[in-house]
Amino acid sequence: MSDYQQFLDERDKIDFLIQKGCQIYGVREHLNGASVDFLHPNGNVTETLLIGTANGRKYFSSLLISQNQPKN
Amino acid sequence: MADLRINLAGIKSPNPFWLASAPPTNSGYQVQRAFEAGWGGAVWKTLGDPILNVTSRFAAIGFNGQRVAGFNNIELITDRPLDVNLKEIYETKKKFPNHAIIASLMVEPKQEKWHEIVKRVEDVGVDGLELNFGCPHGMAERGMGSASGQVPALVERQTYWAKEVAKTPVIVKLTPNITDITATAEAACNGGADAISMINTINSLMGVDLDSWNTIPHVAGKGAHGGYCGPAVKPIALNMVAECARHPHINVPISGIGGISNWRDAVEFMLMGATGVQVCTAAMHHGFRIVEDMIDGLNNYLDSKGIAAVSDIIGKSVPKYSDWGNLDLNHNIVAKINPDVCINCNKCHIACEDTSHQCIDMLTDVNGKSYLKVREEDCVGCNLCSIVCPVDGAIDMIEAPRELAPMTWNDRQTALSVAVECKADVAK
Repeated sequence: MSDYQQFLDERDKIDFLIQKGCQIYGVREHLNGASVDFLHPNGNVTETLLIGTANGRKYFSSLLISQNQPKN
Repeated sequence: MADLRINLAGIKSPNPFWLASAPPTNSGYQVQRAFEAGWGGAVWKTLGDPILNVTSRFAAIGFNGQRVAGFNNIELITDRPLDVNLKEIYETKKKFPNHAIIASLMVEPKQEKWHEIVKRVEDVGVDGLELNFGCPHGMAERGMGSASGQVPALVERQTYWAKEVAKTPVIVKLTPNITDITATAEAACNGGADAISMINTINSLMGVDLDSWNTIPHVAGKGAHGGYCGPAVKPIALNMVAECARHPHINVPISGIGGISNWRDAVEFMLMGATGVQVCTAAMHHGFRIVEDMIDGLNNYLDSKGIAAVSDIIGKSVPKYSDWGNLDLNHNIVAKINPDVCINCNKCHIACEDTSHQCIDMLTDVNGKSYLKVREEDCVGCNLCSIVCPVDGAIDMIEAPRELAPMTWNDRQTALSVAVECKADVAK
């Protein structure tokens, strides 16, 4: 799989969780990329995605910044 | 015609082009000829205890047909008596009162030595002083030049000693042979420098002869490191000027030096914070009259931009120079090959395939004609293909539509640290 295809795959998984209402609540960076923990706001359900591509890591980071910004 | 006059820490000159302290400014004859040609100022070849030189002092490297891409010298400071130099400085200043004459000075790191030479030189009417803490060869073995200039405490102390008696502005010339030039620049400021200049030459060995195994140059079969300058050092010098210009504790004017060969180079240095520039190698390569093109080019550039005075461009690019951590990670450019211009030499494909990110495909159209195409989704915007392309306009680097808001590495790290804190709170 090309880097780009792998990124699309990672982005789809992230978007799927975000659309379910999950929020990023933890990030562990390591030698294989980043493990991103998602938490559903209505429960204790968590899911962790391993994000390996550079574009994927940029993508969830941008979402995290957006998530941290105060909502009007 | 724009106003080309500059005022560097009180030193005024009719244009920003000065000859640097070096062989071109060795004598009154040379400096007067330089002023007649149009140079706005000259930093006299370094004065100090007269030295002895060796023969075979210069060497140069060419690159791809360009002669003197880099230049190296093992010549020392002036070998003429101080009184002779001072007499010629006096005569030159009298003949050219509106041109800047700056005396470059180098003595042992002793207070009385600095006091003596500063007083004697100022008595003949120089417009300013430049303390040579930069020469990397010969004098450095005796504790002067870059040997002093690599130790911030010595830079500060000697600047202070010069300033104790100086009545004219003191410029401190810095060596690039140091990890962080802002450390010595700040030391110069702390010592009271009115301005700083950079860069002096870079430690270098130009080459080794494959037949004789002698160094290039060599003196009767032995060589020693020299000082490297010329067009090849310009990017190094420009960065050092920019780093000093944007440093919050370095607030004195900068005289830019290092590979400046034409008006374009001069404009780049001034945009990056230099108030004026000093030139040596280009004059040694082409003669004093290159300043005519420099003046014309600068004038035309300023006129074309509608800028009335050259001083208006000083430092205008400094705010655009920052740390890597402040660059936008979500900004995307991609390569686009123009098939009408491309000559299908395949250099871009080879460069990308072998050494970058394998995103340029060699394809054949329905008529059997070969063409190259970038897979934009895989292109990381590295610029390599456009750098190696031999045809202007065949490859453009174009901005891709923005998909995400701007985000720097520093923004990202802040956001991540917040996420970690939140997780800790949830866990509690």
